[in-house]
Amino acid sequence: MTSQPGEPTLDPGATLRLIRDQQERARAATSPDGRALYGAWGLAWLVGYLCLYASTGPDGMPAGWAFMVFGGAILAGVVFTIVHSVRRTAGTRGPSARVGAMYGWSWMLGFVAFGLVLGGLERAGASGVVMALASNAFASLVVGLLYLGGAAAFQDSSLFVVGVWMLLVAAVATFVGLPTTYLVMALAGGGGFLVMVGVEQALRVRRRRAAALPAEPRGGR
Amino acid sequence: MTEAELDPVIHAPARLRVVATLAALDRGDELSFPKLQKLLDMTAGNLSTHLRKLEDAQYVRITKTHEGRTPVTYLALTRRGRQAFEEYTFALTSLLKGAGS
Repeated sequence: MTSQPGEPTLDPGATLRLIRDQQERARAATSPDGRALYGAWGLAWLVGYLCLYASTGPDGMPAGWAFMVFGGAILAGVVFTIVHSVRRTAGTRGPSARVGAMYGWSWMLGFVAFGLVLGGLERAGASGVVMALASNAFASLVVGLLYLGGAAAFQDSSLFVVGVWMLLVAAVATFVGLPTTYLVMALAGGGGFLVMVGVEQALRVRRRRAAALPAEPRGGR
Repeated sequence: MTEAELDPVIHAPARLRVVATLAALDRGDELSFPKLQKLLDMTAGNLSTHLRKLEDAQYVRITKTHEGRTPVTYLALTRRGRQAFEEYTFALTSLLKGAGS
């Protein structure tokens, strides 16, 4: 099946671009977009925690409306993440889908346990201050550890950096005390996620440039 | 390396796009027929024809299964298909480098 007369002559550059574009499209349609997820959580934390910080009164407790905004922002983040991830991975099957499902359930179970632990602390008579510090610390701890786990599962070192950062946020936010805790969560936590939107974008541009020059095929695998 | 040496199974643009799409997945991962069709903007009949040719060449594995009561077809690249794709892109790169010098 050699080329027939009258057939368009092969343009290797154009064909490689066709391959690259098609593969980018395939990856975008089958895996969640890190930029979208970091952006959603960055905004949720930034807005939610800033409201808690700004509304804290002389009694040291944030206003009721701030808790509503915070709860709404977190809920919006959860809904967005689930809808986005389920949509992107629908119609795929195999090891990646299984790893992704286990990872998704890890978040769910982590935060169910988080809620139960907080309930237990309250029952044991923990004060409002302890409850506020514990809920922020445990949330950052769960987030940080899950990012470290995600880095291992998906072999993605940028997730590892985020995990380490979130563990630092957990420690610092607890030590600085209320209401500065909320400011640390907003700026270092939420801000950290927003920085990752830019990092993710830069990595994407670099990968695109690298894809213009495919590597030598690995033989016999 | 000349144009005539390029793998004729993959060399057709439609089949190249099918193989490139499946090669973007991790090893062992599969894509459902409707999702693949949407990613390629091909008609179901057209895609089926190309998939059959790729299956005949043992580049693509077609798995027919049921999810609940709905029949679903999953597609994946075989080891042979992935190797053929890597060799094809390598050949193209060599051609490009040759043309550029």
